[in-house]
Amino acid sequence: MSRGASTWTLGTRLLARDWRAGELKVLLVALVIAVLVSTAISFFTNRLERGMTSRAAEFLGADLVVSSRTELPDEYLQHARNSGMLYSEVVEFSSVIASQSDMQLSSVKAVSESYPLRGEVRIADSPFAEERVAITTPPRGSVWAEGRLLNVLDVAPTDTVEIGLSQLQVGAVLTHEPDRAGDFYSLTPRVLMNLADLPETGIIQPGSRVRYRLLLAGTEEQQQRFVDWIRPRLESNQRLTSVADDNRQIGSALGRASQFLGLASIAAVVLAGVAVALSANRFASRHFDTSALLRCLGASRQHVLSLFLVQLGCLGLLATLLGLVLGWGMQAGLVWLLGDLLPPDMPPPGIKPLLVGAGTGLIALAGFALPPLMRLGRVAPLRVLRRDLAPLPSSGWLIYGLALAALALLMWQFTGNLELTLAVVLGGAVAVLILGALAWALLRLAGQRLRNAGLAWRLGTGQLLKQPVTAAGQILSFGLIIMSMVVIVLLRTELLDSWQTQLPDDTPNHFALNILPSEAPAFRAKLDEIGAVAAPLYPVTPGRLVEVNGQPVRALVTKDSQADRAINRDLSLTSAAELAADNEVIDGMWWDDTIPASAPLVSVEAELAAGLDIQTGDTLAFVIAGNRLQAQVASIRKVQWDNFTPNFYMIFSPGSLDHAPTTILTAFSLPSDNRDALRNLSRAFPAMTLLEVEAILDQIRDILAQVTLAVEYVLLFVLLAGFTVLFAGLQATLDDRLYEGALLRTLGAGRGLLRRANHMEFALLGALAGILAIASAELITWTLYRQVMDLQWQPHWLAWLLVPLGSALLISITGALGTRAVVNQSPMRLINQGGGA
Amino acid sequence: MSDSVIVASHLSKVVHSSEAKLTILNDVNLSIDRGSSVAIVGASGSGKSTLLSLLAGLDLPSAGDVQLAGHSLAALNEDQRAALRAEQVGFVFQSFQLLASLTAQENVMLPLELHGRRDAAERARVLLSRVGLAERTTHYPRQLSGGEQQRVAIARAFASDPSILFADEPTGNLDAATGQRITELLFELNREQGTTLVMVTHDARLAERCQRALHIEAGRLVEPA
Repeated sequence: MSRGASTWTLGTRLLARDWRAGELKVLLVALVIAVLVSTAISFFTNRLERGMTSRAAEFLGADLVVSSRTELPDEYLQHARNSGMLYSEVVEFSSVIASQSDMQLSSVKAVSESYPLRGEVRIADSPFAEERVAITTPPRGSVWAEGRLLNVLDVAPTDTVEIGLSQLQVGAVLTHEPDRAGDFYSLTPRVLMNLADLPETGIIQPGSRVRYRLLLAGTEEQQQRFVDWIRPRLESNQRLTSVADDNRQIGSALGRASQFLGLASIAAVVLAGVAVALSANRFASRHFDTSALLRCLGASRQHVLSLFLVQLGCLGLLATLLGLVLGWGMQAGLVWLLGDLLPPDMPPPGIKPLLVGAGTGLIALAGFALPPLMRLGRVAPLRVLRRDLAPLPSSGWLIYGLALAALALLMWQFTGNLELTLAVVLGGAVAVLILGALAWALLRLAGQRLRNAGLAWRLGTGQLLKQPVTAAGQILSFGLIIMSMVVIVLLRTELLDSWQTQLPDDTPNHFALNILPSEAPAFRAKLDEIGAVAAPLYPVTPGRLVEVNGQPVRALVTKDSQADRAINRDLSLTSAAELAADNEVIDGMWWDDTIPASAPLVSVEAELAAGLDIQTGDTLAFVIAGNRLQAQVASIRKVQWDNFTPNFYMIFSPGSLDHAPTTILTAFSLPSDNRDALRNLSRAFPAMTLLEVEAILDQIRDILAQVTLAVEYVLLFVLLAGFTVLFAGLQATLDDRLYEGALLRTLGAGRGLLRRANHMEFALLGALAGILAIASAELITWTLYRQVMDLQWQPHWLAWLLVPLGSALLISITGALGTRAVVNQSPMRLINQGGGA
Repeated sequence: MSDSVIVASHLSKVVHSSEAKLTILNDVNLSIDRGSSVAIVGASGSGKSTLLSLLAGLDLPSAGDVQLAGHSLAALNEDQRAALRAEQVGFVFQSFQLLASLTAQENVMLPLELHGRRDAAERARVLLSRVGLAERTTHYPRQLSGGEQQRVAIARAFASDPSILFADEPTGNLDAATGQRITELLFELNREQGTTLVMVTHDARLAERCQRALHIEAGRLVEPA
């Protein structure tokens, strides 16, 4: 028989024998949990994220949009069609629409069949009538127009209006378009028409300002393939938008949620890693004798090591398979349980979570179980005569460094966020070193303080102080476990709070635009009358940023940047004396009342300023209604885009825009069932555009509720993993305890004393681990909040009290449960077992 | 001597503790004939177990060399020494050294399996029945008495037909009657198999059963080899 085959056979035989003897349970359970937790989290978040993304797609009307100022090449559409994607063409332009009595500049959107691909268009038979979902696009020869336009033109449904050379019939009142969400500030009334009618209007001429959009929808693979295909083909005036980069409100909520879920996964992976390391350590130390005996019987170092590697490999495969199946089952059960609360069209689970789960298992095995196992190869055969001869610990820097790198890789894959991963891994590594030293010091201190305490205390602390380095390692492991749980709990609370404050109950659910300045006082009075809570009234004028310090802006931006989008259209410019409550000046100064209108100042939004490299003191040039206006940058502002109040890229000092034609814009909150009040408002100010964002708000609230749910359940997974690991950790120390417990009982110690000593030891261990845990959790949350998640950080004083107390309680209870055997078993039998066969 | 299976020359073992250096064995010279039985006797701490570990190649001397079955141990690396043990040497220990997770039969099979022998199970059963444990093959060490465990260990030691058997206080953990029976068994098998037996013991009666006794005092061989 060849050596390879005999190693394999003997290795698996030894594994089977160990299995039968119950030696492998703890290691197997730890590995299974590692795989299970990461598979389940990965499955669940993957499905949920995809489900939420598809809901967010409704705001775009599609999964992907290619847009351009010039006609898009036919090739794009052909390719989409050939790859089986759904598609729809949209052409948008401004045009004057006329009736017999009046005319009005309007935003026209000509759409092909199957628009919209995601979300829905809603229409009504007459202004303020009950709206319904449109199941088709406007039929040929008809248009759907906003009620405001009908009001201005004095027409009703079934009347005809003129668009370019065509006469088209008003088919319905347009009340909602899915892809309008991000575009609160377009000032003209909106019209939807059939794309097939467009050529006859004769409106589109060379040089017309037109926006062409190709909407696309398909499976994730189709989307990805299309994105890969089109990216290199995009010309400088063409842009690709996907759900992720489209919507600020959804984007930031989804972004933070997936960061959180990623972090939770990291915590789970770390927990699992600790569990695997602890139980592999126990496995290794229980096999020192086997290794020594095999060496004594003539097996080479290599042979012994390969025997254990075969065992580890088989165990890893088995655990991975079990973990994958259980993980899949767990998320399926969860989806079934939470059916009503999850997105209605949860996509089926993909293959990726399985790979992530399997990867986690194998990497945890290689990174965390291999180092302790490598020691088995170094057991001296002399151990058969001298049992105290333990092999040297792994010359571990390299191998643990590799484990750390593997862990980082895994986390990166989970989070897709290199910054976050590095912060956690490097911070973690430094923290482990510092905390290890701290644990050791705390232990020494506790030892000195408790020297004259009662017997139970001395016995308890004696366990820990006997081997301070081992005990420090133990405290560190428990500290890490508790820290992971604490970080996740703190983060969850903070996230939920921040979402709550992002969309409080009085979040504006209506935007009102196009109010004439002369009507402003009356409008304000009317809002008060109907009980609406309003943001300030802003005078708004459309204008274009053309130069920064005399340089044309086109030269300053890169394609697809935030700045690119901002300068490619008219910005809504406003002036204000007061800084809005949710804006924050991060550079320069907000102006006071003494600024003369003749020397205009402007405050610029931070991201745009960064994109165009605008500094305070720079001079910006704008074109407003054909006139040029220069202003000096007085401040750079950070803006909360996701809170549904009016926000502006550019705010001028009071009086700067006095010569420009302005209208008033505001947002207000009014219960959505108060339709009479809205109708009154519209009738009183017929030129006003009223945008309802209630639907968007609802959708965002839904998504946040679902994310919250996911966050809660992932927290549950993490806690579950944490407790299991705690238990595994205690099991890992059981052998020594059994032996010493037996010894003490033989010497006449009562069960009560043993129990008390155990409690004291675990309570001390728990309290020290708790102190380390909260200290490092504070450090980590401080870094994460500030650097990664953009949240406000405050010290968690209560946690400083609760975590060490809770940890002491938790570990002493778990410890008491886990070590019942120490107290309850017969001393003689324990000595036989503990002292070797 | 041409028929010596073990020759030790100028063997010393010194260990360094934090305070001082401790000489455990000091310039030991001996030779053991093939097929003979030798007892190494001495007080606790005299260095007899250390001598055994050096003779068997489980540890390396600070100075000197051991020739084991014609091979100089100093010239072999750890794995080569292991291979030599696999080929030539069997062990019986005071604390039995059975693996708790293996049954009696599996413990005996272990050295055979390391050799890749297909008849491991069969031969283990034969040996177990030779030591009187035919009915206990599926029992775990914890289910066996001390004497039974040592019999399993003896069966394991003879499983790979070693030419040399090292025994470290084989009756040290057993009561007198059981120890007596184990001694009989050990010598019987030794005779049947023509094995060289090297035994560490402080049991004078056990030492008397051997053809020769080497006395160690404070790391030195008192009776010359």
